[in-house]
Amino acid sequence: MHDLPRQAVSPPTVVSAPASRHFGRITLDVRQDLSQWKQAVFVGGSLILGLAVSVAILAVAGISPVTLGTELADVLNAESLRGVLVQAAPLILVGLGASLAFKIGFWNLGLEGQMILGGIFAAAISIYDIGPPSTRLLMMGSAAAVGGALWVLLVALLKIRFRVNEIIATLLLNYVAMYFLFHLLYGAWQDAKTAFPQSSPFRPFERLTDVGYGINSGLIIAVAGVLVAGWLVHLSRIGFYARFISANPRMAKIVGVPVQAMTVCIIAASGACAGLAGFVNVASQEGRLTQSFANGYVFSGVLIAFLSRNDPIVVAVVGFLIAMLFITGQTLQVFYQIPFTMVQLIEAIIVMAVASSEFFIRHRIRWIR
Amino acid sequence: MSDFLINWIANVPVTAVPYALAALGLIISERSGVLNLTAEGLMLIGALAGAGSCLVLGGYPAVALLVAMAAASIVSLLFVFLVVVLRINQVIAGLSIVFFCQGLTGLIGTLAKWQNRQLTGLGNLKIWPPSDIPVIGRIFFMQDPVVYLTILIFFVVNFVLFRTMLGLRIRAVGENPAASDAAGVSVTLHRTLAIVVGSSLIGLAGGYISVVSVKLWVTGMVGGRGWIAVALVVFARWAPWPALWGALLFGCIEALIPHVAAAGIRVPQYLMLMAPYLATIAVMIWVGAKDNRGSQEPGALGQPHVREERR
Repeated sequence: MHDLPRQAVSPPTVVSAPASRHFGRITLDVRQDLSQWKQAVFVGGSLILGLAVSVAILAVAGISPVTLGTELADVLNAESLRGVLVQAAPLILVGLGASLAFKIGFWNLGLEGQMILGGIFAAAISIYDIGPPSTRLLMMGSAAAVGGALWVLLVALLKIRFRVNEIIATLLLNYVAMYFLFHLLYGAWQDAKTAFPQSSPFRPFERLTDVGYGINSGLIIAVAGVLVAGWLVHLSRIGFYARFISANPRMAKIVGVPVQAMTVCIIAASGACAGLAGFVNVASQEGRLTQSFANGYVFSGVLIAFLSRNDPIVVAVVGFLIAMLFITGQTLQVFYQIPFTMVQLIEAIIVMAVASSEFFIRHRIRWIR
Repeated sequence: MSDFLINWIANVPVTAVPYALAALGLIISERSGVLNLTAEGLMLIGALAGAGSCLVLGGYPAVALLVAMAAASIVSLLFVFLVVVLRINQVIAGLSIVFFCQGLTGLIGTLAKWQNRQLTGLGNLKIWPPSDIPVIGRIFFMQDPVVYLTILIFFVVNFVLFRTMLGLRIRAVGENPAASDAAGVSVTLHRTLAIVVGSSLIGLAGGYISVVSVKLWVTGMVGGRGWIAVALVVFARWAPWPALWGALLFGCIEALIPHVAAAGIRVPQYLMLMAPYLATIAVMIWVGAKDNRGSQEPGALGQPHVREERR
């Protein structure tokens, strides 16, 4: 009677096949749990590795680490810091847009297209002179949010109704939005004075100006966005629903969470954030609608959302750091002829490195001799 | 009018080849169960490597295309490391590879000053007797060699995937990695092989754009064709031949754009350029709306395999 259990606990070492006599073999253990600080060590270590690779690539491209160090230190002086803060506003908003959508498992990669639509909607208010000057900025901001939201809702509708893959659809709509922008800037909206492919400059009351201490009002919009999103995600019922839906959509539906309405609302909010980013960018930095104001934002949004683990408060911090990267990239472009795509390269390396740390957090590699 | 038609149709193969090769490359790697979003990036690598080696060697377009294939395969090893060895999220890995390649090609191409320099290109073949037939000759028998090579590649890939043990193993790994592993088929090896071989075709597609079709290199010249190829794979239900027909459809649309303006039809230029992207979305709607039984979507698409992990 007692034979059966004894057989069941026979040591498993007999079963595992010896693969190679000399080197043994490598196996993976699945870790059940890893302490917070060890996780932080892995993430930090891979982040440092990623940055080291980036520095090495820059060195090959002709920027010695010493030059890079002085340029980075230079970014933090008072004059450049103003630029960083101006640049941080659209990046934080784009990061918020990405993190809201990722929160419910919707891959919104159309952030650039939504920014462009936001910029176009805001510029339309200016060009067609809609509303009195005192409420003009408010009108432009709201129009931009609506424009961005509509552009992403198109994809949300296609996904819900026809199960269209949103990754490809949002990415393709970026190109459509870009060509629509070109259509306007090389056509009806072209600046008659300069004949450059850009709109005529906004009037002074249509610009986001400094509110004092070198802080641009665009940053106030971004910080307000962070606070509202932080409240939504961490404190409100909507945030709880969003966590529920991303964890188990079927269960959420069964217990009466309005899954579809919630999903659509959060996706729309994500697009609205990107649209606002477009507005902030054209109304503060550029002062007019330009060809390339949204270039390089889609992956920045993904990066910011990824590094902040979709937490709106952390988005603000990461957004500020990426703004430093942007400004450094612009400096390197102007003074050392390094193309701005360098920023994208570094961003991609950072994402790869941090994503890789996940593997070491979840698995232990063992070498069995 | 008939001139317009002949000019248009004679140009379709040139615009269809990149879509066809990229989609086929994606099908090979996705059949092994790896969701591959890298096409746009690897095509950029292929385009840069092809154009660069053409300029450095001063000609030799055939060698340039081989260099394009090799370069894309080498970069795809990074993707292999991320998704097969480290098993990170395949969407994140694919996206970061695309933006990595965008950054890298922009950097190398600008620093090496390869921008906007004329390339020699590849002449058209003239398959002799039938190429003299008035209309058909020009459309079918006077294309460049890669067009004919593409059809050959489709036959070879179709044969290997569906008629050999290697193909069976690749598909088995994509369908059920745990069962394949238990049966002694190495998941790591077959996924690596599928990604690297598939990526070489994607690189060829990119090299073809810069070396043969456009004959110069500019930053970001692939312009979303890689994403269209990803959609094409869904449209073709992961089967090679439908991907070729889909590629011809998109080739038709893309080839039409310059000819509409040349024929004197007044359509705003930039709205015209939206056509391939809007057509892709239309095709995706059509795929979503119709009945999808019979799709050959791999069962384990997007799932990393860890032997020691219990599901």
